[in-house]
Amino acid sequence: MGNKQTIFTDEQLDAYQDCTFFTRKEILRLHGRYHELAPHLVPMDYTKEPDCNVPLALIVNMPELKENPFRNRIVESFSEDGMGNLSFNEFVDMFSVLSEMAPRELKAIYAFKIYDFNVDNYLCKEDLEKTLNRLTKEELTPEEVELVCEKAIEEADLDGDSKLSFADFENMISRAPDFLSTFHIRI
Amino acid sequence: MASELQDPSGVYDYTEGSSSYPGEQQPLRSRRVSSQDSNQNYPQFNWNPEEDEEGDSGLPRELRSIPLPMSLKRAVRQVQQMKVPVVSRAESWKRKKTRSLRKLKDNSKEVLDAFTLWKKTLQKIGGNFGSGVHSYFLFLRFLVVLNFVSFFLIAGFVLAPSIVFRYVDSSLDNSNGPAECLEYNPNPKVTVFYQYFLDLLSGTGFMEYSYLFYGYYYNKVVANEDVTYNIPLAYVLTAVFYFAFCLICIIARMGANARVAVATGGHTIGEYSMIVFTGWDYSCLRDRDTKLKQKNIHYRLQVDLEEERLKKRAAALTLSRKVLLYSLRTFLHLVAFGLIMGAFYGIFLAADFSQKNTTEKGILGLFYEYLPSIVITAGNFLVPMLCDQIALIEKYSPSTTVIVALLRAVFLRLVSLAVLLFTLWRQITCDGNIEEAGCKLCQYNYNVYPCWETRIGQEMYKLTLFDLLINIAVLVLVEFPRRMVVDKCSCKLTQWVGRQEFVVPSNVLGLVYGQAVVWTGTLFCPLLPLINTIKFIILFYCKKITLFYNCRPAHRTFRSTTSTFFFLVVLLFGWGLATVVMVYSLSEIRPSLSCGPFRLFPNMWSVVPSSFYSLSETTQEFLFFIGSQSFSIPLFALSCVVMCYFIALASVYGKSVALLRTQLKLEGRDKQFLVKQIEQLGRQLHIPTHSAGCLLPVWLNYFLSASCVTSPETVSFDRSGFSRR
Repeated sequence: MGNKQTIFTDEQLDAYQDCTFFTRKEILRLHGRYHELAPHLVPMDYTKEPDCNVPLALIVNMPELKENPFRNRIVESFSEDGMGNLSFNEFVDMFSVLSEMAPRELKAIYAFKIYDFNVDNYLCKEDLEKTLNRLTKEELTPEEVELVCEKAIEEADLDGDSKLSFADFENMISRAPDFLSTFHIRI
Repeated sequence: MASELQDPSGVYDYTEGSSSYPGEQQPLRSRRVSSQDSNQNYPQFNWNPEEDEEGDSGLPRELRSIPLPMSLKRAVRQVQQMKVPVVSRAESWKRKKTRSLRKLKDNSKEVLDAFTLWKKTLQKIGGNFGSGVHSYFLFLRFLVVLNFVSFFLIAGFVLAPSIVFRYVDSSLDNSNGPAECLEYNPNPKVTVFYQYFLDLLSGTGFMEYSYLFYGYYYNKVVANEDVTYNIPLAYVLTAVFYFAFCLICIIARMGANARVAVATGGHTIGEYSMIVFTGWDYSCLRDRDTKLKQKNIHYRLQVDLEEERLKKRAAALTLSRKVLLYSLRTFLHLVAFGLIMGAFYGIFLAADFSQKNTTEKGILGLFYEYLPSIVITAGNFLVPMLCDQIALIEKYSPSTTVIVALLRAVFLRLVSLAVLLFTLWRQITCDGNIEEAGCKLCQYNYNVYPCWETRIGQEMYKLTLFDLLINIAVLVLVEFPRRMVVDKCSCKLTQWVGRQEFVVPSNVLGLVYGQAVVWTGTLFCPLLPLINTIKFIILFYCKKITLFYNCRPAHRTFRSTTSTFFFLVVLLFGWGLATVVMVYSLSEIRPSLSCGPFRLFPNMWSVVPSSFYSLSETTQEFLFFIGSQSFSIPLFALSCVVMCYFIALASVYGKSVALLRTQLKLEGRDKQFLVKQIEQLGRQLHIPTHSAGCLLPVWLNYFLSASCVTSPETVSFDRSGFSRR
């Protein structure tokens, strides 16, 4: 199967296989999906490592991400320029972390990044409020939002600074049995 | 991302977090600090693998799990590959071997994935309906595979030899007994064509004297020149091993789930934060389902808030109101219990009536045959509905209501099966009184049941078949029309009723009940696991069709991890019931004299001791030794010791977890204190904060990592002096 395709060299496929949780077939399929997003931008031949980025607006329209309330934050967390434009490397990286074989610690790191809206490495009350509003599509009253955010921080905050650092977040996630199955996008 | 350069605590966070990554417990001095690099956000990675104790084969595993961006990971990989470590030939050969082995494993995993049953379908279901429904279908697939594999066990040891030896030698050993007991004529002449169909549905007629039921099997030891095969012994031992095999499979599966459940501890802690951060199922794809998902999360949060309010209100109740509430709840429990008992009495009457009227022919006869199944199904439908109405008055908190309803439904289903079996037992053994007129001659009721095992097998067969027919009938006659009515007609009533919801708990109870019936019946109907496999496969496709065409996602979620464990626990209850029935049938009731492989024995189990004495001397002595006290008591003592060891280990781990959690809190406070100190220092020395931030990782990192401990045994609190300064 590998000697017929001319999209990647064998060396590249090996590198992708070692650096992600995907097999060769899945990587080629991912490239197909990436190409579909912007056929005029993305070349079919990746052997020369072309430097092309697909903009945020096209990526969040993928069926896997379209209905996700955190789609913008997900794509921004994986893009190197912080604006949400993904190269193929970052695209594969994103789906590798969100695949079912990624370990809990790795997913926790990126989940923290996603929920950190103001990118200050803490989940403060505003971050939680934004998360909650996106989750419930603003159907909760402001008092209820306030109450839930307070309770959530109270439960998870270990060092008492009324915001969640990564250690607090990871500790809370380690006790959530459903995290691995919910933080998972199939592609 | 560039702002993280200025924020000292931010950079601290990432380097602090890096010390918790698995496999990166490297001493600080080996870390390279990349200054003025935009990648300062990321944990420092050790580019030199010389101090790394693990071999090359360990590294790619880690590489995938490192949270670096892809381009960096590839660069790291390139560097690793370019560095040619000076190793001996044996070492490099070993490394090549491990690498090719890993590649082989990856490739074979790809191939095996193609063979996983229904993989794509399950993915689609999980993507569209969430993990609760997904866990139901996973459970169904597990049961299909279990039944199929256990059928091979039975086919290999009982069915195939029976077929072969019947072909070879079709004479039977007839027992010596009273002539009335030996009468058994299961093949009446077929008069009308639809008799075939009726026979198929009730297991009588041409189906009765076939490999399907116990009555057809051989009772002799087949002996050729070089091969002897004791069919009765094989029958008993296969039945016992079948139960043991199913138990092992269930426990193995429970073990995997239990590990997750135990590791994450009690789920009552941290409910709000968990809903907020893990509530959204990222694999949800469909548009209207996401709106429902949002409503779902909204509902869950409201439920939790409601529970809080209820708790506060319950705590504030006066004594008289508490007494009133508790007496009301007790009364309603009794009412629910009474309803369930009423259902049992109904089943008892129906089974009695059905057994007394077995001589009816035609459609009426079929109706009488199926009467117990009909009553059981009606009871399983009506009583939970009524209990739900009762639960509205009971005013438990929502989570308790769900658990109570589930327990009542489980109790109802399994005990109704037990009641049916009890009715059969009463009739077979003349109310347990062997000396009564009808039973004295052959020690079972030979008039009504010339071959009672086949009769029980037929009852279980009918239950299984009826269950499948009801499911298909409900699908065709209720669910599809309901969807069409709701879609076409838009009046208030239909919108209020709405589309069908796929309720996971009741569907799972149906599966558990079906499997319990199969387990009970396998001793008497050896082909039942195969029939059950086919039934569950048909059920899978029916449920899939109804899910995609008729259902909307459930209003109330069912947590997937804890729920799988719960399903398996309930399945174990069913297994327990079936085991009780099997043990009783093997040891207490006299097998039929006119049919089956045990007609010469006083009870089924006695074939084992009698063939035991035909084993060699040493084997007999060995088995006697294992059964004796001089072996079992030391074994018992040894297993007690092992269990104590594991309990001690578990408690030590629990204590270290608590200690580490306390340490985490202390370190957080240390961090805050030091950050304040730095800011103060910065102000005092008039150093602008951003360059102070650049110096931060080096010395702060050094301080904190130097005092940071990485193993539970060396936990120490001597930094407390430092932090108080």
